[in-house]
Amino acid sequence: MLSQGFVSAAAIAASVLFILSLGGLSNQEKAKRAVWYGIVGMAVAVGFTALGPGIGGYGWLIPMVLIGAGIGTYLARKVEMTEMPQLVAALHSFVGLAAVFVAWSADLERRRVLAARAADGVMQEFSAFAALVATKAPDELTFLQIEVVLGIFIGAVTFTGSVIAFGKLAGKVDGKPRQLPGGHLLNAGAAVLSLVLAVMYLNGAGFWTLILLALLAFFIGYHLIMGIGGADMPVVVSMLNSYSGWAAAAIGFTLSNDLLIVTGALVGSSGAILSYIMCKAMNRNFVNVILGGFGGSQGPAAEIEGEQVAIDAGGVASALNDADSVIIVPGYGMAVAQAQSAVSDLVRKLRAAGKEVRFGIHPVAGRLPGHMNVLLAEAKVPYDIVLEMDEINDDFASTDVVIVIGSNDIVNPAAQEDPNSPIAGMPVLKVWEAKQVFISKRGQGTGYSGIENPLFYKENSRMFYGDARESLNTLLPLID
Amino acid sequence: MKIGALKERFRGEARVALTPESAGQLQKLGHECLIETGAGMAAGFDDEAYRTAGVTVVEGPTALFDAAEVVIKVREPSDEEAERLREGQTLISFFWPAQNEAMLEKCRAKGASVIAMDMVPRISRAQKMDALSSMANIAGYRAVIEAGNHFGRFFTGQVTAAGKVPPAKVLVIGAGVAGLAAIGTATSLGAVVRAFDVRPEVSEQIESMGAEFLFLDFDDTQDGSESGGYASPSSPEFREKQLECFRAQAAEVDIVITTALIPGRPAPKLWLEDMVALMKPGSVIVDLAAEKGGNCDLTKPDERVVSDNGVIVIGYTDFPSRMATQASLLYATNIRHMLSDLTPEKDGVIVHDMEDDVIRGATVTHRSEITFPPPPPKVKAIAAAKPKKKEKEPTPEEKRALETAAFKAQTTRQVGLLAVGGVLMLLLGQVAPASFMQHFIVFVLACFIGFQVIWKVSHSLHTPLMAVTNAISGIIILGAVLQIGSGSAVVVVLAAISVLIATINIVGGFLVTRRMLAMFQKS
Repeated sequence: MLSQGFVSAAAIAASVLFILSLGGLSNQEKAKRAVWYGIVGMAVAVGFTALGPGIGGYGWLIPMVLIGAGIGTYLARKVEMTEMPQLVAALHSFVGLAAVFVAWSADLERRRVLAARAADGVMQEFSAFAALVATKAPDELTFLQIEVVLGIFIGAVTFTGSVIAFGKLAGKVDGKPRQLPGGHLLNAGAAVLSLVLAVMYLNGAGFWTLILLALLAFFIGYHLIMGIGGADMPVVVSMLNSYSGWAAAAIGFTLSNDLLIVTGALVGSSGAILSYIMCKAMNRNFVNVILGGFGGSQGPAAEIEGEQVAIDAGGVASALNDADSVIIVPGYGMAVAQAQSAVSDLVRKLRAAGKEVRFGIHPVAGRLPGHMNVLLAEAKVPYDIVLEMDEINDDFASTDVVIVIGSNDIVNPAAQEDPNSPIAGMPVLKVWEAKQVFISKRGQGTGYSGIENPLFYKENSRMFYGDARESLNTLLPLID
Repeated sequence: MKIGALKERFRGEARVALTPESAGQLQKLGHECLIETGAGMAAGFDDEAYRTAGVTVVEGPTALFDAAEVVIKVREPSDEEAERLREGQTLISFFWPAQNEAMLEKCRAKGASVIAMDMVPRISRAQKMDALSSMANIAGYRAVIEAGNHFGRFFTGQVTAAGKVPPAKVLVIGAGVAGLAAIGTATSLGAVVRAFDVRPEVSEQIESMGAEFLFLDFDDTQDGSESGGYASPSSPEFREKQLECFRAQAAEVDIVITTALIPGRPAPKLWLEDMVALMKPGSVIVDLAAEKGGNCDLTKPDERVVSDNGVIVIGYTDFPSRMATQASLLYATNIRHMLSDLTPEKDGVIVHDMEDDVIRGATVTHRSEITFPPPPPKVKAIAAAKPKKKEKEPTPEEKRALETAAFKAQTTRQVGLLAVGGVLMLLLGQVAPASFMQHFIVFVLACFIGFQVIWKVSHSLHTPLMAVTNAISGIIILGAVLQIGSGSAVVVVLAAISVLIATINIVGGFLVTRRMLAMFQKS
């Protein structure tokens, strides 16, 4: 057994390592080292805590860790890069569920201690967490109860929310926003009811209040995320990420464990910032995204004149052969069609021909923050030609050819030109400023937001219809 | 149908309406092609080339008029040519119906249909047959080449061992197709190019070609989209302002290329005698509007004039013809597109569909009736562009004032937030036990660090960041570890499950992050 001093020292070391790990993600080269900081930090944290004073239960602990590690390794090896969003959402749900369980356990231990105190006043020997609870004063126990309530509530919302997000991202649940009749009133009702239950619990009601509380929170998480559409998923996933951190921090308070608090707070605040960045990229506020749906527009959207002109692979190829500079703008459609390696081959060929090829990535392209970057990296596209919106937006005007692959709203000029458009004010990639724009798209449908895209009707736009991967594969042999 | 191309008889005209290449395409539409002997000679296509392409070479115009059902040519028909037209025959050429009413009446009387290539409406669908644009493009290019020919210096600035050469300054007036082509050519030769146009909405196009747009601060600017993308006459006040702007440029620029035309009117005089006097000797003015009277006072059509102070004024009107091969290739393609629209079934039968916007617009006589001017097309030429408002640059004082104000607002907000936060902490401290407050300090500091650290993470690493924070949030395992040694069976089971799923989270999260980061590579 290690002394408490050892454990505390380890906790400090682990906290520092976690901070370094997050901070190290500022560029691709440092990031590879940063992950190791995280891994070592986690190993130190778990190892020293498990070997600390008064832990026990190793008969359960060790096999569970081994089994969990096995499953985790399997998942991480097997997952396709296009499935990353689902995986992250699924993993969040685990944290949420674990938080609920731990909080329940904490209350059960509290009850055991109180029962023992009431029975004879003689302090019996408690093991593990109960031993800590036994040393607490009454006012500290009240605070412990508040923390338990918070832990359960946040954890439960995270759990069902993540499960639904997983379902939507994996296509197992319909991606359209859907709510039960009553809409947000149901959520509000459930929240009020939860508050009532929490008050009853603080006033000494039984353990059933906590179970009911968890069920209500499960419902809120489910209903909240059901009401959010597929394109808002980058925000949802990072928000759930944030919640899982807050849940961990709440549990840290319950268990009086600083390491949990620090780590939970780090994760919680980082998730919150990420959500903020995503919302800013869509020019929408956070509440608006979470409550679902676009704000009402102030008038009829501008009429679109002109026609969509189709083009075949030969036409695209000859334009590419003549071009000196090319920018590719990928979107969720590229992920759906699994077209990233075809894109990569195209890029290699164009670059071999001495053309300047770059990628323009909108912050909310795809279903996860940074989703497109990971897919392109998987297809071995060098990261230094993959630029973000602010870096590349002024270069479109001097670009010969832009290829838009499976994105729609993020290249919609209506966001800037039509004040009545539902997405007015959203920063978009100004692809229409290029000399020529080719849009690879399945058919004439609208994007997630259901808005017509005037880009498709512009004079310098040509529609390259068909499945993105097949289109690119027919295009490849024509490039020289 | 038999399509016959006439030899151009206008003096100096070298273009031809049919090339061997376009003949091949027309044959695919089911037509038969004829050409008058020697018609393509000046443009670099001899009779043999046409014969190889399957074109019948006919001796003399009379034979051609007799044989062909559709006659194609470049220039408007001469009296003789119009005389040879017969009923039911179609003539496709430039025509200028507004200026040639007598000719129009003659063709009508003959019963021939005339399609005027200069009347093709300006809509997207008709771009491929817009011969005015393709000729203007050539004119713009050639104008710069002619200017270079007469200009005694380099276009591009150079620093050589023999001294420094400043770049030539070129001013282009009128940014239509010809103007833009001139801008593009001059910039690619390395000149410093400025351009002016009365339609403010073309400023973007000017800037995209690499020139500087001379912005005129004037309220009453016109909306080019109303007149189908062409310029219309401007008010006297506007004109004064415009001339003032040019006068300021005159002393500076080396080459002036004017392309200002207003449909159906003589060209506006924009480069006055006094401006020419201000220019440096050896400077060149190329007036692309010479045929319509010229934009410059000194311009004489088809001549090269040298002013008293040594400024060369070029007033040639045959720029496209000076590049006859290129011009013929483009013009023949425009004609070919027109004919393919006239042959919808691709079976060699011409259907003169007067319901079609493009065909209707270009047809000036049909079935012994004059059909000019056409009704406005059903599709508007160009979407109305909102006039671009030039934002006023704030002065340094204003800027500083704004910055100070923003800084003050920020300070107030931050101090306010801190005060509110402090009060809340104080209240919390009153009720919460001391042990809680200790943890709370740690919590708040950790949140702060989190905020500071994440701002720096690069966009492209957001997915790895999510995966890492996800793995780290598996720290919840500590909670379960602390409880797993409990005496209560329920607690042990709950804790065991928590350990299991938290471990999946940790291991899965870290491994997948490593996998992702390994993929990122530099080129």
